[in-house]
Amino acid sequence: MPIRLTIKMTTRRVLILAPLLLTLILLQSYFWVPTYEQQTRGNPDRLEKYITASIGDASLLNPILSADSASSEIENMVFEGLIDRDKDLRFRGRLATSWKIYEEAFFYVNGVAHVPGQGVLDPAGVAQVIRDAQKAAPPASALKSTLENIVGIQVIPSRQFRTTREGTPAPANRPKKAITLRGQAPARIKLVLHQIDPDLFANLTLLLGRDYFTSFPAQNYLQADGPLGSGQLDGWAREILPAVEHNPVIEFNLRPNVRFHDGHILDAGDVKFTYEAIIAPQNLSPRIADYEPVKAVQVLDPLTVRVVYKRLYSPGFGTWAMGILPEHLLNSEALRREAIRAGKEPANFTMRQSAFNRHPIGCGPFVFREWKSDEYIALDRFEDYWEGPPNYKAFIYRIIPDLLTQEMEFYAGTLDAYGQPPGGVPPYQTRRLENDPRFQSFSGTSFGYSYIGYNMRREPFDDPRVRRALGMAIDVDKIIKYVLYGQGKRISGPFPLQTDYYDRRIAPLPCDPEGALRLLAEAGWKRDAQGWLTKDGRRLQFTLITNSGNDIRKAILAVAQDAWKQIGIDVRTDLLEWSVFIQERVDKHDFDAVILGWSMGIDPDLYQIWHSSQTGPNQLNFVAFQDQEADRLIVAIRQEYNHQRQVDLCHELQKIIAAAQPYTFLFVREWTAVLDRRIVLREVDAAGKGVYKKITPTPTGNIMYDFNKWIKLSEVPNFAVD
Amino acid sequence: MIAFIARSSVQKIVTLFFVSIVSFLIIHLAPGQPSQVDPLNPKFTPEMVARYRQAFHLDQPLYTQYLYFYRDLFTGKTVSWKDNRSVLAKIWERFLKSLPLFIVGTILTWTISFPIGIRSAIARGSAFDQTTTFCAYLLISIPGFFFAYILIIFVVQTFQVPVIGMQTFGLNQSSVTAAVMDRIWHLLLPSVLGATGGIAVLSRYVRSQMLEVESQDYVRTARAKGLPAEQVHYRHALRNALLPFVTMFGLILPGLIGGSVIIESIFSWPGIGRMAYEAILARDYPVILTVNFVSAVLVLGGTFVSDVLYLLVDPRIRL
Amino acid sequence: MSATSPPPSPADGRRMELQVPRRSRWEEFWRLFRRNRLAVGGMIIFILFFGVATAGLFLTAGTQPIFDPALVRLQEKLRPPLARPHVDSLGAQEVPPLGVYLLGTDELGRDVFARMLQGAWVSLTVGFVAVGIAVFIGIFMGGMAGYFGQEFIRIGHLLWAVAVIAGAALLFSGIVAVGLLVGAGGVAGLVHNLTPKRISGRTQRSWGGAVLAQNAMRVDTLIMRFVDIMLCFPSFFLILTVVALLPPSIYNIMIVIGLTSWMGAARFVRAEFLALREQDFVAAARALGLGNFRIIFRHMMPNAIAPVLVSATIGIATAILTEAGLSFLGFGVPPPHATWGNILSDGRQFIFDAPWLTFIPGLAILIVVLAFNLFGDGLRDVLNPKLRERHA
Repeated sequence: MPIRLTIKMTTRRVLILAPLLLTLILLQSYFWVPTYEQQTRGNPDRLEKYITASIGDASLLNPILSADSASSEIENMVFEGLIDRDKDLRFRGRLATSWKIYEEAFFYVNGVAHVPGQGVLDPAGVAQVIRDAQKAAPPASALKSTLENIVGIQVIPSRQFRTTREGTPAPANRPKKAITLRGQAPARIKLVLHQIDPDLFANLTLLLGRDYFTSFPAQNYLQADGPLGSGQLDGWAREILPAVEHNPVIEFNLRPNVRFHDGHILDAGDVKFTYEAIIAPQNLSPRIADYEPVKAVQVLDPLTVRVVYKRLYSPGFGTWAMGILPEHLLNSEALRREAIRAGKEPANFTMRQSAFNRHPIGCGPFVFREWKSDEYIALDRFEDYWEGPPNYKAFIYRIIPDLLTQEMEFYAGTLDAYGQPPGGVPPYQTRRLENDPRFQSFSGTSFGYSYIGYNMRREPFDDPRVRRALGMAIDVDKIIKYVLYGQGKRISGPFPLQTDYYDRRIAPLPCDPEGALRLLAEAGWKRDAQGWLTKDGRRLQFTLITNSGNDIRKAILAVAQDAWKQIGIDVRTDLLEWSVFIQERVDKHDFDAVILGWSMGIDPDLYQIWHSSQTGPNQLNFVAFQDQEADRLIVAIRQEYNHQRQVDLCHELQKIIAAAQPYTFLFVREWTAVLDRRIVLREVDAAGKGVYKKITPTPTGNIMYDFNKWIKLSEVPNFAVD
Repeated sequence: MIAFIARSSVQKIVTLFFVSIVSFLIIHLAPGQPSQVDPLNPKFTPEMVARYRQAFHLDQPLYTQYLYFYRDLFTGKTVSWKDNRSVLAKIWERFLKSLPLFIVGTILTWTISFPIGIRSAIARGSAFDQTTTFCAYLLISIPGFFFAYILIIFVVQTFQVPVIGMQTFGLNQSSVTAAVMDRIWHLLLPSVLGATGGIAVLSRYVRSQMLEVESQDYVRTARAKGLPAEQVHYRHALRNALLPFVTMFGLILPGLIGGSVIIESIFSWPGIGRMAYEAILARDYPVILTVNFVSAVLVLGGTFVSDVLYLLVDPRIRL
Repeated sequence: MSATSPPPSPADGRRMELQVPRRSRWEEFWRLFRRNRLAVGGMIIFILFFGVATAGLFLTAGTQPIFDPALVRLQEKLRPPLARPHVDSLGAQEVPPLGVYLLGTDELGRDVFARMLQGAWVSLTVGFVAVGIAVFIGIFMGGMAGYFGQEFIRIGHLLWAVAVIAGAALLFSGIVAVGLLVGAGGVAGLVHNLTPKRISGRTQRSWGGAVLAQNAMRVDTLIMRFVDIMLCFPSFFLILTVVALLPPSIYNIMIVIGLTSWMGAARFVRAEFLALREQDFVAAARALGLGNFRIIFRHMMPNAIAPVLVSATIGIATAILTEAGLSFLGFGVPPPHATWGNILSDGRQFIFDAPWLTFIPGLAILIVVLAFNLFGDGLRDVLNPKLRERHA
């Protein structure tokens, strides 16, 4: 009995001791965890690692396949493009040491047009006319500069061709029949231009006659072997035998002896391969639209690559900042071998399925080490980087989905930065963190703006006075002051504020509720007895929507509703989940007014968002902004290669948009990023000694520009003079 | 016994079949598109969106999509739309990450609930009982994330040590012990938070089981015999009160997937709940469906195990 | 007198009057309940909360509410509790009615007190409607399984039901005409098949085609298998999935929470009904020729409702917490409705700059949920006869 009793007593003791013991074991682990100070002092390794965090994980680490910000942040470290932008946002060479941009232009010899004073000319005659004009001083100065720009004239003889097109199905649901087109293309003149000249053909008409190009009878040179719809042949003829053609050419000279992380040397073939991978339909690359205007990428020699464009397309140059893929790891042969190794069907195995996307190899400053999904991505520095290895030995990109816990990790010393651009530190924290002596903080303007867009298909937004009045009723300064805590700037147009495309002379709308009421009165909206604005017995009433999950948009929603209520507009608001918001409302044009934002590139191409051809369902001009002059300017901007002329066109376009007010442009955000105070710039001076400098952002607000020279010190440094 | 197992497994497979249909319908009939098919991304032309839809079979009728999906699932070929990795491999990887959290949480729950529950049943109505009752309900009444933030801020501000993630980042730990202890420290907060609800519920359940048993005749008899109170409680009562808990072992398994979304998000723990949550956000249908399917399998497997355990443990049940 | 015992016959009743002092059920209940101080405290807060929520409805609703929870005063943002407004910078309508910001203001300068008032009502509604839906479905399903559980479902019924489902599926896939036809056919078939049975009870079994009339499975089996299927989904994950995929709306959240939490109630009701079915008073009622529905609702339901009530009380608490969790993940009740959950989750990012935005809703949720739980626990103790014996 006593033994039994003790057993029972043991049960009781175990029951009480087990949890106590467990708690003790768990709690004592605290003594093994380093504090902030312990992590930096006495841990030299830690100082050579840069740890940053992101809210979301990357998707695929392949620059041609992913379009999300987390992935591209890593890709920028692992891959390198031919060019990038320098401190002042001008292009500078990276993998390319230099480049040449010129043009090849073509036109068909018109067999029916009369050249003034010469009659109908044969190919040689046309070429001779141009050569003669080059020698003689022509009267018009525009023509003169055009002719001086021509460095080569060549006649391409007539040739036979044959091609097929899909016929239009006469009865519905019948399979489309292929139609063979054959013909004899007339001779063509090829002009090689020193610089790109969008006005070439317009100016040549001064020489060859006003309708020399427009009267080219392309359809006469084309025959079809099947029945056709009306006008179909003409359409194809214009497509296959365009009277004139601009072919801008970019020639890149590549940097010699640049190595991929696996030691393979980069050459022109890799550039060509990267282009081909993007346009290959099976890769579903989100960048395919950027490269559609490319006609061909040619390898001239291992260090020279030539890109020919189908038409004038100036945004094309900037796209070569895209990371270059290693051909030897991803070409069809390599993929086939990988498929067989993985036991998959090689026919269905594309670059999307390749393991490369989780183990990328590029020639950027950092080498991929490992990726733990939703935990971290680790990179090591590339010792053979052509510009010399970065100071940091490792770059660790943690995924911490919650901002508050990111902040706590920053305080605890396991993150070196908090609030990376473009998002930055939440605006209400800026003041507190800026004044905190433990950190150093930076700020800059982001590339992206917020706006209220009006559906111009609907009343009353089809009236520019109403749109202007709505904009004037809102006190944007107040939004910036109180919602953004001063972390924003007003804008009046769609170009990035820190570039010269943006015209600072165009002032944003003033906040003027009285003026807004006057404008609305002009448009016929009067206040009734209860103070509501009415017209023809109808109240001014609409719904303002935005997506959920964005606090700033939510705040704007409340402010705008309140401001409009003050002048008697009955506004309802709705917050919708992102995909529903986009697919059910914006894409189907089922909205009155939306609050949204665009994040912009540096290039001033506005075609997709503002051109009148982009107003269909699923397209981005969902407010249906249509303006002929704006269309002309938009197209001219993307055809213009001269920076100053492009700037002038942009300013003109901004004026038109500001006058029409299709959006109420609200603000661009300013971001603030906070870094550990012990991080500095280390440069090597002429004597080979390390010099420490304070980190400063570029004039355009990029702090990461000199990232390769950053390093963390064990003590807060003292800079004698900045 | 064999008959029972056979009948039960057939039943469970049929249930699983219906679960698969229901979850498939829920996800595919909801409005919206996977985010890979994001039409507002300026880089996506309508043709590309169409091509994506085709690549993901989204343009096919529902029943075909259903067949495609479950064919791929059973041949192990399902891949995530987000990153083209095998879904089963992803789930397994995350499962291993969730496992320590789950194990520590479960051990905490069970070791702490039992003494508390038993004690408050024995001392029914005492101050101890009242306090634990109150505390138990307090723990289940706190919104989890509110509690988590308060704890995190308290720990970081007071002790200046990191608590987020699975380990202290950026350090090459000097010794294995230090590395292990560091990991244990990072396990501590999330598992305590994950266990609070469990402790509260389980200790209440232990208490009511004990009370139920204590009021039974054989316990009264034992007491009337003049046996020491300790022995009556811990020998006669406890043993019988424990019976239903044996079967609970089968039922805790599904908890691996369900309840940890919020805790894992806050602590940026790369576990299975967070993966499921991210998949929902990205509308990564294959991952959502597979997680659902796997958790249904776990639930059914768990009930099956608990049924069998009950059979083995409780002599009164004979089939 | 236990909750499960049959209502005494008149003769019995007289004899009982002699033995025990006459107490109504409620008095008896109250006498026992009063002993549990925690539960009484819970009940008081419970009632207070009701009052606040109802007051909140009246004080914050309408076009000119006394407390306007949506009024934005940007210049007055993030004022701490009990701060006095800067009257000179505010319009006459913008000054808070109490003269101070009782609970401070949020990041847009909205009065947190007004928002908490409004949120109390919305949170309570979310909890009540969700649990109401769950209890309704639970009672219906559990009642069916417990009372009609031994009835058989015939193959004919199943076929017609399949037709209805197929019709719905076709409708969804866009084949409207065929879908409508099949669906309508299915409904008609079901109605036709079920109607005669309800009138003439079990005697009609041989009616109709031999195959269609074949017994397929018991009602009980069908319903309990369905419960099993529902239990297979991890509930929070299921709610999250559905709420994330559907357009956000307060109704969706209430309905989804309701539709995913009725299984417990169904099991309770079924178990009670199975026990009650065999009791004498039900047999007596049946012998008197009372209709099924009269028996169910008049005689059985009052005796089976106790555990459901307890689980409903706790269910409301759970629903409020679930809503807060959803808010945290960004899928809570969308504005303009303020709930305590979304005030809390919106406020958490200001925890250093404006801690009251986190602590006020956090503690409010904590107190109310705790009150519901304690009250529910007290109810369970009182209504559970086994545990009650020892109180007396």
